[in-house]
Amino acid sequence: MFILLGTAATLLPPLIAWGEHIYLKHGEVSGKKRIFYFLFYFVFLHTFILGMAFCQGVRGLTIRTMTIDYEIKHLGAGLVCAFIAPFFYCFIFETDILAAGVKGYGRRVLVDIWKYRQYVVRSARAHLREEVANSYLDWLWWVIEPLCMMMIYTLVFGFLFGSAEPNFAIFVFIGLTMWTFFSRNVSYGVTTILANRSIVTRVYLPKYMLLISQMLLNGFKMLISFGIVFFMMLLFRVPMTCHIVWVIPLIFELFLFTFAVGTILMHFGVYVSDLSYIIGIVLNMLMYLSGVFYSMERFPEPFDVLLGKFNPLAFLMNSTRDALLYGSMPEWSVYFSWLCVSTVMACIGLYTIYYNENAYAKIS
Amino acid sequence: MGECAIDVKNVSIYYRILNGTSVRKSVWEKKQRNLMHKAIKGLSFSVNSGEVLGIVGKNGSGKSTLLRSIAGIFAPNEGVIDLHGHTVSLMALGIGFIDRLSGRENIVLSGMLLGFTEQEVEDKVQEIIDFSELGEFIDRPVATYSSGMYSKLAFAITAMLETDIMLVDEVLSVGDSRFQQKSFTKMRDLIMDVNTTVLIVSHSMETLKELCDRILWIHDGAMQEIGETELVLQHYAEFMNC
Repeated sequence: MFILLGTAATLLPPLIAWGEHIYLKHGEVSGKKRIFYFLFYFVFLHTFILGMAFCQGVRGLTIRTMTIDYEIKHLGAGLVCAFIAPFFYCFIFETDILAAGVKGYGRRVLVDIWKYRQYVVRSARAHLREEVANSYLDWLWWVIEPLCMMMIYTLVFGFLFGSAEPNFAIFVFIGLTMWTFFSRNVSYGVTTILANRSIVTRVYLPKYMLLISQMLLNGFKMLISFGIVFFMMLLFRVPMTCHIVWVIPLIFELFLFTFAVGTILMHFGVYVSDLSYIIGIVLNMLMYLSGVFYSMERFPEPFDVLLGKFNPLAFLMNSTRDALLYGSMPEWSVYFSWLCVSTVMACIGLYTIYYNENAYAKIS
Repeated sequence: MGECAIDVKNVSIYYRILNGTSVRKSVWEKKQRNLMHKAIKGLSFSVNSGEVLGIVGKNGSGKSTLLRSIAGIFAPNEGVIDLHGHTVSLMALGIGFIDRLSGRENIVLSGMLLGFTEQEVEDKVQEIIDFSELGEFIDRPVATYSSGMYSKLAFAITAMLETDIMLVDEVLSVGDSRFQQKSFTKMRDLIMDVNTTVLIVSHSMETLKELCDRILWIHDGAMQEIGETELVLQHYAEFMNC
């Protein structure tokens, strides 16, 4: 375990930074430069992280004496830095690509969102209404469906597998709500462009608007579910604390992360026809690794901390539960790390979609 | 007249021939051939404001591609298309409808995608429904429409929501004979309007003769001829007959 984590902490960050750098440069990098960049990031990242550790008072670092908790921290810091470093490098040294790109695309994103805001909202509303148009219970389904799901999972995991977290029903419901939002949007994201071919090939719109519209739709459902959570908290007499407000930044991060993953998958979903199957499997696996129905403490020693921090969904779910049920704050260092990573990912996703939007319209 | 509405300068458009790959394919066949199909090759022309330009050419010569590019659905690979800030709409068979939604919602959504605000479209909805003769079907999902109803609705939307530039791609023959007559009259009214610039793609010589000021003949993505209606159509007819 030590060796595995140590190797990962040494090699993964520079590899990620290197890959991202090459992607940002459209892969037009010669062989010599590739080696140079890898070495550069290797040296730079490790100096940076060890320097950070030194500043915090860590002296005489050897792999043998490290605790697992410390190794995880080391790896986490490395990965976050690796994700952000190439962005800054390109921003400073490759002004023609990134600074100009960020300026141009950033402005375009704002202009487009403002221009299409009415469309996005209207489209989400129309789809919502359509979903219940032909059912007897109408909008009641938005309340009934999540409630029934919660009951099933509470029964199965609460009684059969004997999970005994306090307020288990609410515990499951929070996890389920957030998970449903993420997984629905992501699996929709993969098929967005092909499913909306009739629009994409006939009229211009920034393609991620389709994803935003879908996210609004699912976000509305999530809002209803959180309303139910609130109601249940009153019902079960869960003590309310002022820590409830942390839910807002946490939900914001969930939106940002979902959007980032959705846009990136949206691009690859056009070209890789079996991606939707792969995503189905990955999502299923991720669901069990995120502790939707059980607390993360059920995982053996190093993995509970590892997953709780490195899996953004597990982190967001746990923090939301902490804020609502147990009255404590999220871990801000992890929160801001994921905020940075999500922002960079969203930028990459938006850039990819704008860069390839001509190609999407020509697929018919 | 005189003011320029559309400037097409040296425009080329390529299609990359790329079928969706799968993981299996991309692993085993490492280098996929990058085939490029040139749909439009270095085309330049300009259209004055209020003018009606007909576009002819045999099937696959790039007419629809050109219109879609002018409509802004995709940018040309080379060259510039300058619309001088005019709004533009493309009238083609099967405008982008979302099958699951009702006709009414589709009117609003497509109108908004054409660049109108929600309010502007809402004001025109009744007019569009009346013109399209759909009656009670307007509140049913578009998926239940017949092909005639589908194209009647599409025509009604683009005809009633008037933009500065209208691109018409072979839609003058939709619906039954009564609707055809009606749409032809509506089209002629739009064309007579000095503020509306119109580009028409059609295979019907009579329509073009009646409506157009000038004709552009595209052959294999390049310009063959542009000029007076009678003259170009005559040359085109001779070319097609031999």
